[in-house]
Amino acid sequence: MIETASEAGTSIVGMLQADAGSLLSLGGRTAGVLQVSDWAFVATNWEYLLAGTVVTMLLTITSLSLGFLAGFPAGAIEVYSSGRLSDVVSTFGVLLRGTPIVVLVVLVHFGLPLPRFGSIPWLEVDLTAFLSATLALGLRSGAYQSQVFRGAIQSIDDGQLAAARSVGMSSRQAIRHVVFPQALRRSLPGFQNEFTIVLKDTSIAFAIGLAELLTRAENLYLQPGQGTAVLEVILTITAIYFVLTFVTNRSLEAIHRRYSIPGGTE
Amino acid sequence: MSLLHFENVSKSYGDEEVLHDVSFQLDAGDVEVIVGPSGSGKSTLLRCVNRLTEIDDGVISLEGEDIHAMDENTLRRRVGMVFQDFNLFAHRTARGNVTLGLTEVLGLSKHEADERAEQYLQQVGVADQADAYPAELSGGQKQRVGIARALAMDPDLMLFDEPTSALDPELVGEVLAVMRELADDGMTMLAVTHEMGFARSVASRLAFLEDGQIVERGPPEQLFEQPQHDRTDEFLGELTDLNR
Repeated sequence: MIETASEAGTSIVGMLQADAGSLLSLGGRTAGVLQVSDWAFVATNWEYLLAGTVVTMLLTITSLSLGFLAGFPAGAIEVYSSGRLSDVVSTFGVLLRGTPIVVLVVLVHFGLPLPRFGSIPWLEVDLTAFLSATLALGLRSGAYQSQVFRGAIQSIDDGQLAAARSVGMSSRQAIRHVVFPQALRRSLPGFQNEFTIVLKDTSIAFAIGLAELLTRAENLYLQPGQGTAVLEVILTITAIYFVLTFVTNRSLEAIHRRYSIPGGTE
Repeated sequence: MSLLHFENVSKSYGDEEVLHDVSFQLDAGDVEVIVGPSGSGKSTLLRCVNRLTEIDDGVISLEGEDIHAMDENTLRRRVGMVFQDFNLFAHRTARGNVTLGLTEVLGLSKHEADERAEQYLQQVGVADQADAYPAELSGGQKQRVGIARALAMDPDLMLFDEPTSALDPELVGEVLAVMRELADDGMTMLAVTHEMGFARSVASRLAFLEDGQIVERGPPEQLFEQPQHDRTDEFLGELTDLNR
């Protein structure tokens, strides 16, 4: 396994050398950036960056899930409930949306008495930092998702609810069987947007040293003698972020098409 | 005992009184058509019957029972409603529109609900569109699905709130034909509509509502031929001209 991996590594290095060679020959001024040896350095650390990619993906999923679990009920409460609960929910939303995400991550990580967990071997992830990042990114995303859902619920015509009530459904049944299924479909474009935002914002966990992509990128080029590889490392993780975003968008668009209402405009 | 009884019913929105001291009775099998200018309280009157709107004063009873003493969901099971804008559930097929109430409210199994839906879609002539979504249907088809959805609950009384007003003229006939058949089958109906041909030929009684009050009420031919009030004559005259 390891042998094949290193073989793959060398072949990538070979390709990169060829590429970089032609790039370098374009002119003397490009010498110094995008050097063959720096690309080789990235290639030899592919497994380290792969683990970072996995952490980034996991953090995206846990944060979005928490965001959905918090945001969907919050959006519904803002529409259907009045009084104290609704006030509390909307105040939380305003606070979360009004705080820079870096501040939130740092606040949660150093401000909350979170239990100390160990770390996962291959991923080298400090679970406490992962939990902090999930809480901060998830709750912030929930605050934004609540607005997506609130808007979607409010966009459903009142006549839908009246029709459901007129056949004898309770408010709860009408909301569950008539309003929510339509509102969730209308939320998908907004949710897709939120997905890509959270995916890229996981890089904020850099502030608490969580070993996701950006943190690992820095760990690589800050090694003694690797200072020249900054651009190569950053370009590599940029490409990874781009591929993840692209694939996510395409998948969510496919889901949207799959669940869109035939003949409808949504 | 009358099926539906309004006794001195009043309703206000803020300072504006929409229904003022409205009283009338409907017997089983009656078809009552309500006409009146825009804002006269016609829709409000209908919505009070199934408590989509709550009245401020007076008593409404269904088969002698005060509807405000009834559970509102039980009441609505017994009173079907058809809306001007159809209000079909946009995310469900024609069949799904009919079955939702059957499974969720009446507790029928999916199979039983599908069968009953089939039967009612057949009755209104849209069985071939059972798998179509509302956005794929014409206005006339939508309204007939709306009628099937209400009928499938096996109501004692059907409310029609301007069922043909949102339709293109050439689609009005198919909906009126369904309503006519229903009336012939003995369904008790309370309909707000300005289709005077329907009112003349189907209604057992016609009521003219203005400013939240029943100005005049009686058999259609009486209101058309010998109206007691000038205002009735004027309004019905205008409507008849429009219908021509």
